[in-house]
Amino acid sequence: MRKGDVDNAFKRCTSIVEQRFFLPPSDHLAMEVRTARAQILSDGNVLITTSSQAPYSVRKQLAEAFTIPAGKIQVKVPFVGGGFGGKAPVTLEILAYLASRSVGGKAVRLTIPREQDMASMPCRLGLEALIKIGADENGLIQAADLTYWLDCGAYTDISPYMSKAIAMDCTGPYHIENLTCDAMCVYSNHTYSTSFRGFSHEGYTFCIERALDMLAKKCSIDPLEFRIRNAIREGSTTPSQVGYSPSLIGDLKKCLTQIKELAKWDGGNANAIKKNTVKAKGIACFWKTENPPTDAISGAMITFNPDGSVNLNTGVVEMGSNGQTHLAQMLAEKLKVDASQVHVVTSVDTRTAPEHWKTVASLTEHMAGHAVVRAADDLLSQLRSNGAQAFGCAENEIEVANSRVFNRNKPEYYIEFKDIVQGYKSNTGESIGEPVLGRGGFMLKGLSMLDRQTGKGQTGPEWTLGAQVVEIEADISTFTYRILNATTVIDVGKVINPESMTASIMGGMSMGLSLASRECSTHNKNGIPNHPNLRTYKLLHIGQEPKYHVGFVETPEEQAPYGVRGFSEHGIIGMPAALGNALSNAFGKQLTKLPLTPETIWRTEQGGINS
Amino acid sequence: MIAFDFDYYRPATLDDAVDAFLQAESKGGDALYYAGGSEIISMSRVGSIEPSAVIDIKNIPECSDLIIDKKHLNIGSVCTLYQISESNLFPLMKLSCGRIADHTNQCRITLGGNLCGSIIYRETSLPLLLSDAHITLYGKDGKRKVPFDSVFNGRMQLSSSEMIVKIHIPIWALSAPYFHIKKTANEKIDYPLISIAAIIKGDYIRIAFSGVCSFPFRSKKIEKVLNDRSNSIKNRARRAISLLPDEVHSDGESSGEYRLFVLENTLLEILKRWENGRI
Repeated sequence: MRKGDVDNAFKRCTSIVEQRFFLPPSDHLAMEVRTARAQILSDGNVLITTSSQAPYSVRKQLAEAFTIPAGKIQVKVPFVGGGFGGKAPVTLEILAYLASRSVGGKAVRLTIPREQDMASMPCRLGLEALIKIGADENGLIQAADLTYWLDCGAYTDISPYMSKAIAMDCTGPYHIENLTCDAMCVYSNHTYSTSFRGFSHEGYTFCIERALDMLAKKCSIDPLEFRIRNAIREGSTTPSQVGYSPSLIGDLKKCLTQIKELAKWDGGNANAIKKNTVKAKGIACFWKTENPPTDAISGAMITFNPDGSVNLNTGVVEMGSNGQTHLAQMLAEKLKVDASQVHVVTSVDTRTAPEHWKTVASLTEHMAGHAVVRAADDLLSQLRSNGAQAFGCAENEIEVANSRVFNRNKPEYYIEFKDIVQGYKSNTGESIGEPVLGRGGFMLKGLSMLDRQTGKGQTGPEWTLGAQVVEIEADISTFTYRILNATTVIDVGKVINPESMTASIMGGMSMGLSLASRECSTHNKNGIPNHPNLRTYKLLHIGQEPKYHVGFVETPEEQAPYGVRGFSEHGIIGMPAALGNALSNAFGKQLTKLPLTPETIWRTEQGGINS
Repeated sequence: MIAFDFDYYRPATLDDAVDAFLQAESKGGDALYYAGGSEIISMSRVGSIEPSAVIDIKNIPECSDLIIDKKHLNIGSVCTLYQISESNLFPLMKLSCGRIADHTNQCRITLGGNLCGSIIYRETSLPLLLSDAHITLYGKDGKRKVPFDSVFNGRMQLSSSEMIVKIHIPIWALSAPYFHIKKTANEKIDYPLISIAAIIKGDYIRIAFSGVCSFPFRSKKIEKVLNDRSNSIKNRARRAISLLPDEVHSDGESSGEYRLFVLENTLLEILKRWENGRI
């Protein structure tokens, strides 16, 4: 990315921070390991059942790799036991297909033990960064020179998209007019990496937000205040030169003002509690836009049951992110019925469900939401047609609500859904209207590839931003600590389901704290993973989580159904940075490396800057 | 999954168990006595071990005692960590057994398994090293009862076909002043960076360590230093960490240097508590 005039801008800076950061790779650790089942029927049809976030990718890759017509491949995905991006790549399905083919098409199920899932299936990428940012005497950031190196492991997979994703959002949600950023994928002999919750945002955010705290300190400004001062706003542009609007990006100042209260922000300084014990808070902001193919699609099909309830069929995979519930809510809202009237087809079958690009990128509510809303409009239009014919009035006089169809001017005469959704039979036995079948298709529009020289362009339909605070209690003599509180305030556009959205955010926060405080996939000097097992790989356990607090800001995204922004991943994004900032405040040392274990903090104390 | 076939024996007597062992070995493979089996499963899954036979000794009555008689607390080798802990019969043992694993595994890991397994920590050995305990073994040459520390030098030194039947802890130890502390890298339940058990007998501190080296140990040299009241607490702790029987352990949990840092701090803490009468 190249924006403005970085060299001259740095000359204006009275405070400059230049720092390296390092994050090792880690693992998704979904509760269910990867597994796939393949069978080839006697007519040549291939049937795959798999734990995957991307059934349509499975179909496509099998078709291309083995030159099978795509129509002869059927992929089914039941409920997935956690994905977190790790089940977006096509992996075991290929091997299961080959295994089935080698035994004449008999059904073959391929399941790998946890140890192999950790060692050879794709993981979360490692990251190194060199961050240089400068501010003037008013504490306003003038320039940023950022370099990111992604450890993508032995295979490329989608790592270039992740370097693009980092470049798109590389500065964080701030007003920075002069920017140069290079994000590069690097092959290594490590387990290859793929999408992970946050799509590399949790990684670069640690680097930039740690640097911002260091810069705020140099400017002698409260870190929260510093972020308010530099928050992205009217007149700002993103790293890729997209102009700010509240609808497109959201309101960071509001999030910061709200979190100041919710987290009882106190400047971030270490407060001595008793001998050798301090408490400290750390803050970080985050944002994220998406990087789908510019022509990604989604769809929805709706049919009625004889009792007037509806069946909703989409290509969205359910893996705990609750996307299907939100889609059902949107449909219920459109039809003005209770959500209990919507029966979601919970497992995906590529033979019958309209294609949804992949269940990734927190784009379910946007893409599939649009498709559902269009399908609902389609239903309403047909219901009005049936109703107009039944009542002998104009279509625009027909109202649909509470599972009834009626003439707005004579609401006391109504027809229940159950009597009209499959066509209508009048008292005299006359057939009227048609059975109602709803369909809606959606394709992303208006997105672009990035300019080769400057990176200018827009890769996703919107941004979602927010602020996070972590509070810890630390023993400064033993370098141990406990995480007490973790807070997020996120601008979600519209809170369509407070409980499930809160739970999503909390789940993300938990993953972020776990990966920042403990997780680390290491390899020996022969490139062999050291700890591909849950006996010795560290992650956060029940009983060690902090208290979680979640608040919402609602700046509607005008192009999204019901104004909802993507949010499912986002709880994770600023957590490593906020924890790093809190611990740096507590120990008075600049922590620049994950994981933030007592030993790594001790080492920083011992040896100056981490190697 | 365990990808190889193996035989399972379930004897009802000590003799039957030894017979099963000899029979399995005569077929040319490796036999393992076991009770909980958690380590066998973990290691077999990844191909680190490939026993031809496992001999389940949980049904042998002598192996499941958990009882105090006139002179000793007797703990059978198939007692689980949870059972030992919950019995409250020996407070120091309760602490040493109490935080080895998560609850599911505490109900499965046994005293015998923890002592004989290949995982290096063997935290249940610490109170046994400190309390002049005895151990009853049984093998093809019959039964023998010997001091625990004569057949344990960091790991169990058993002859082939020998199994642990039970251990015997003298009564005096059950009510002696004691201290236990376990430091982990970050988690509450985890392998130790260091696990220390201490007993005071006649105003003399006895102390044993797990996690510090690649085997658990009791060191008379270190005890001498720690009991030397003519030296300051700080000097005693500093001197003690230079007297380890082997190089400090370094692994995925932590490096050796950090472990030494934690050890020195912990020894200071223990000495301070002892001085203040809080042990």
